[in-house]
Amino acid sequence: MKSKFMRLLNPIIGSLILLSSTSINAMAQTELFETTLENGLQVVVKQDTRAPIVVHQLWYKVGANYEPNGLTGVSHMLEHMMFKGTDSVEPGQFSKRVSQMGGRENAFTSANYTAYYQVVGKQHLEEVMTLESDRMANLSLTNKQFQPERNVVKQERLWSIEDKPTSKLFEQFKATAYLSSTERNPVIGWMKDIEYYQLQDLKNWYSQWYAPNNATLVVVGDVDPKKVVELAQKTYGVYPPQTINPPKPQFELEQQGQRRFELKDATPVPNIIMGYHVPSLVSASDPQEVYALAVLASVLDGDDSARLTQSLVRDQKIASSIGAFYRPTGRLGAQFLFSAQPQTEVKVEELEAAILAEIKRVKDEPIQKSELERILAQAEAQYVYQQDSIQSQASSIGSMVSVGLPADTMQNWVENLRSVTPDQIQAVAKKYLHTDNLTVGILRPSGETNRKPTPKPEFSGRMH
Amino acid sequence: MKIIMQAFVFAMGLMAFSLSQASIDIQTWQTSKGVKVLFVEAPQLPMVDVEVTFDAGSARDAKQPGLANLTSALLSAGTEQKNEQQISIGFNNLGAQFGGQASRDSASFSLRSLTRENLLTPALDLFAEVLTQPSFPSEIFARDQARLIQALKQREEQPNQVASLTFWQTLYSGHPYANPVEGNIESVQAIKPNDLKAFYQRYYVAKNAQVSIVGAIDRKQAEQIAERLTSSLKTGEPAPALPAPKPLQEAQSQVIDFSSVQTHYMLGQLGVERGHPDYYALFLGNHLLGGSGFGSLLVEEVREKRGLVYSVYSYFAPMRVAGPWVIGLSTQNSQASEADQVVKQTLKEFMADFSDEKLSDIKSNLIGGWPLRLDSNGKILGYISMIGFYDLPLDYLDAFPRHIERLTKQDVLDAWQRHIKTDNMLTLMVGQPE
Repeated sequence: MKSKFMRLLNPIIGSLILLSSTSINAMAQTELFETTLENGLQVVVKQDTRAPIVVHQLWYKVGANYEPNGLTGVSHMLEHMMFKGTDSVEPGQFSKRVSQMGGRENAFTSANYTAYYQVVGKQHLEEVMTLESDRMANLSLTNKQFQPERNVVKQERLWSIEDKPTSKLFEQFKATAYLSSTERNPVIGWMKDIEYYQLQDLKNWYSQWYAPNNATLVVVGDVDPKKVVELAQKTYGVYPPQTINPPKPQFELEQQGQRRFELKDATPVPNIIMGYHVPSLVSASDPQEVYALAVLASVLDGDDSARLTQSLVRDQKIASSIGAFYRPTGRLGAQFLFSAQPQTEVKVEELEAAILAEIKRVKDEPIQKSELERILAQAEAQYVYQQDSIQSQASSIGSMVSVGLPADTMQNWVENLRSVTPDQIQAVAKKYLHTDNLTVGILRPSGETNRKPTPKPEFSGRMH
Repeated sequence: MKIIMQAFVFAMGLMAFSLSQASIDIQTWQTSKGVKVLFVEAPQLPMVDVEVTFDAGSARDAKQPGLANLTSALLSAGTEQKNEQQISIGFNNLGAQFGGQASRDSASFSLRSLTRENLLTPALDLFAEVLTQPSFPSEIFARDQARLIQALKQREEQPNQVASLTFWQTLYSGHPYANPVEGNIESVQAIKPNDLKAFYQRYYVAKNAQVSIVGAIDRKQAEQIAERLTSSLKTGEPAPALPAPKPLQEAQSQVIDFSSVQTHYMLGQLGVERGHPDYYALFLGNHLLGGSGFGSLLVEEVREKRGLVYSVYSYFAPMRVAGPWVIGLSTQNSQASEADQVVKQTLKEFMADFSDEKLSDIKSNLIGGWPLRLDSNGKILGYISMIGFYDLPLDYLDAFPRHIERLTKQDVLDAWQRHIKTDNMLTLMVGQPE
């Protein structure tokens, strides 16, 4: 059990999806209903009648790893502008309508996709579809709206990266691990890029990627799938497809030797990130390798009794917190990551050596049957737990389809994990987790402190 | 993300509701030891959520800030029969999820499990063992104490944490709510395993406990579960009443000089305790002012019109006694004064008057959004746990939207003028504001 300060999650890396999140035999499956409209819009519907509500998500196949140098973060900037009105809807009106319905709405951008969603009472589905399809085609991009919103995004970057040393470390880690691939781009963009966007850049990006044939509609909730398709036809269906030029292939150079970098910042505690290039379900020539890597990630850090916590935090008391992360659904491959913080008085080099020793152990000895069984038991249970939220059900579907994977990838996930053998786990560990394929980033205390001597509070009897 | 809303720590209590057809049937009874139980049957998914709550939050720390938090964190570090690793493997092998946390008001422990007999029974047995037979091993205590102190050192370099910490300390000076839940470096350093044992003996008792259950089981099973979890607890005594905090008597402004690129800003004062009759009007007003994201006045003025921030929010956090009311934001240092002015101007105008259209919009947002607040077992568990812990009426969830519906603009303005004294607010800035 972790208190707020004992959580073993670096907020940035923690946001990567930890695997082992689904299973198949736990309960009867609700069928996914899938179709494609004539204009190319992919539609996936899942019925869940537990509450009279519906989640409506629209996913575009564009994100930070589609962006050219100099325009990093433009997908995210456009996501912000999508709330600034269309030819027929005033700026802010979209949010106002959803708010009047009692709905919740937001949007998010990642390396692989940009998604917009609303959660509303089921009677409002048609209206949010009308609003969402309208901004797919008729966005009005003006300088008057753009300039203040650019400053909002600058503030977002200051808040989420600049004052957070561990966030900076992860951002620079990606830019070091990837030299030629656009996977190096920060989702929010480099500050200088944000400062120099032109309105025309956003217009170009919008017309280049926002079209029904580059999008996926996901609806989960108390709905009849056939009715949803009718509504989709009536709303999204009226917009013609556009020419979409798929992004040019941007392969990462093969790494031929370890890369290291350091970041010095005002932090009292060092941190380390280590990562290896590994395949994802999208990039793999053999998907079995992906399942084996996923099981390996769970062996190392699937839960608080997994190897890394048990060995480095509990037994050796070297790490104060540690995690291993592998998100196997990236369009351009993946990193198998380790992120850790040493215990007080422990050198970060000792911690690195201890992590490498755990990796060596995986290569040298087959994992135990009991470890495999525990991972599968948890994966099955989590598949049921995940269905407590219609939001996460929809997000799981949308994120798969957006990188070109089948919508039911997660429904078959546990079955695929079940097929993994201890030999396969050793094989992928040997093949990928080796020194020449490793990038290491270390955050070191600069010795400075952010805190100045505290002045006495000023008391004043008036507001200023 | 387009916007980050205020962390959902407070969301539970902040949320309001409507539509009587969506009403939740809460059953309640007492165990043989006198522990209050609240139960909602949710047959759709083969899972069950259980939460055991004690009035054992950091407000009970007395002169040892951080004690309640460490006690709750160490509960699963070992029992009379099992060590830490056996406990965590025990839950994990069953696909069960165990968790716990301390806040100022309470310490709560949760178990999520599938309902399959051969999984649920051993998971409950282990949960009961952790709750009733913790051993607080000194070796693990020393390790986690060191980890916590390290985290507390990091906290001092994080402007948002420093702001929150200072805010509570200034607003609640001398009150049990003043100290951070996690304590501070000196106080945590001084805590010993025996202090944890003493705290546990005093507060982790039947008369100070409550059980909340949501899931695919029937009443009889729920009764057995509650009995199983609490029968080995000592009877004990309830925790004493907390003193009422004193409101600020004059405006205070504080600047903490801090090398961050943004200034972290908090403005506020005391709000109300849970169950206060004015809460509906305060909540509705706050929802319009800064509690509802993109529909709210603060987001409109500070973010949408001027682009000064990524996030600005306000909330009431009603607690056992008056919790705070806060407006918060962060902005680059050079914009801090401007943001401060816009916030205060927006508040002033809101407290003077707002349009009828805004009132009806915000009402329809709250009332129409009611089903969204109860669309998962996890959310329902949070609500019933709150209703039980703060002795709210069982029909609280159904009554809330009716209260909201009835409120007039004058009701809202009157309540705000009664409680929010704009001449006695605390303004706090951490950064290098210009």
